[in-house]
Amino acid sequence: MPVPISAIDLFSDQVLVDPYPHFAELRELGAVVHLPANDVYALTRYDVVRDALGDPGTFSSRSIGFNPMVNEALQGTSLASDPPVHAQLRAALTENLSPRALRGLKAQIDAKAAALVGELVEKGSFEAIDALARVFPLEVVADLIGFTGHVRENMLRWGEAAMQVIGPLNQRTAENFPIAGELYAWCAGVTAEDLAPGSVGRGIFDAEARGDIPPDTAGHIIHQYLGAGVDSTVAAIGNIVALFGTHPDQFDLVRDDPSLVPAAFAEALRFWAPINTWGRYVTRDVEIDGTTVPAGSQAAILLGSGNRDPHHYEDPDAFLVGRNPVDHLTFGFGPHGCAGQGLARLEGHAVIAALAGSAQRLVLGEVERAPSNITRSIEKLPVLEVVPA
Amino acid sequence: MKVVADRERCEGHGLCADTAPEVYELDDDAIVVLVHEIVPPQLERKAEGGARVCPVAALRVEA
Repeated sequence: MPVPISAIDLFSDQVLVDPYPHFAELRELGAVVHLPANDVYALTRYDVVRDALGDPGTFSSRSIGFNPMVNEALQGTSLASDPPVHAQLRAALTENLSPRALRGLKAQIDAKAAALVGELVEKGSFEAIDALARVFPLEVVADLIGFTGHVRENMLRWGEAAMQVIGPLNQRTAENFPIAGELYAWCAGVTAEDLAPGSVGRGIFDAEARGDIPPDTAGHIIHQYLGAGVDSTVAAIGNIVALFGTHPDQFDLVRDDPSLVPAAFAEALRFWAPINTWGRYVTRDVEIDGTTVPAGSQAAILLGSGNRDPHHYEDPDAFLVGRNPVDHLTFGFGPHGCAGQGLARLEGHAVIAALAGSAQRLVLGEVERAPSNITRSIEKLPVLEVVPA
Repeated sequence: MKVVADRERCEGHGLCADTAPEVYELDDDAIVVLVHEIVPPQLERKAEGGARVCPVAALRVEA
């Protein structure tokens, strides 16, 4: 059976802003669909997405991006490597990011979220993206890695650019390469002294000096923390506010039962994945759903489409905090599963708990989105009125 | 049924222990420990559920 074909362009403005109707169309066509517009084979359904992520032998990370320049630039990182080399690079990356390493941070992150959200609720109205979604992860990651000064000011634009350039060679990618280059250059030259004493960033340089990680990898690791840890979390936190504002009944459930906080975060991630599409290189002819994807092709792993697969989640287009979809695909899965997910959970849970503890209702103005190649986030989110708890 | 835990790959996210505390625990280093060498029949479904949610695929169920 030939692979079904669709004219959908995954990186068109329209699809990037609201991918879900297009994902539904692709899932209907098949578990794998050829998209000539992007020269990719898109994996659309939950099971095939998860299986591909768990099979790095067939779906290699050598081309996680959709243009050759970014894939070249990522060579030698944990993100773009395959087993067995990957395991060592990953271990160096996660050493300071594992839930164990982060254990001591929970109280601090919770307190930071409570203070910030408390202040905003007291004001009665606020712009949730600038005042919360961008500020909070920036503070958490900056303190963690020990960034100061001009780096801190550049983190948002660097983090955003690092994601944009993973897209195909469109105008957004072209405009962002120079900005992503600033981040790359800074990471190539950063030294231990540039990072605050006692920070995780300083610890990574100490590990390099001790020989615990290979020489010259500390900069790479900092690069990945920054490139991956900011933009995606900014998107997730904006989404939380928007979803609670538009689903007051679901917000009430969390306010009444704070034990639902982790489930609500998992559901927000499932419902609106900050990253919908990720690349893989197909190393051998592989049969999927009765069709053959040829060796040498580029796969587009549609994480956000798998999350809405009705064969896996009942009523997938409903936002239900009681669902607890712990097996969602937003962090990926398997050997390359998001290395920062422990930190993301700490941040997401802290923000949800703070909102549920201090607000009763969030009245939203018009939600604005702008197309972005990889990260789907809200650009403007006015909270016109907060009813305090 | 037997569960095989790859302790090298485990990063301590703890989703297995949240899902099936009767089958999975975390040690002091937050690395997975199996409560039973052989999973008792009444816990097989829970064991499978806990293995499934491991985000880094460090758990494998063997029939």
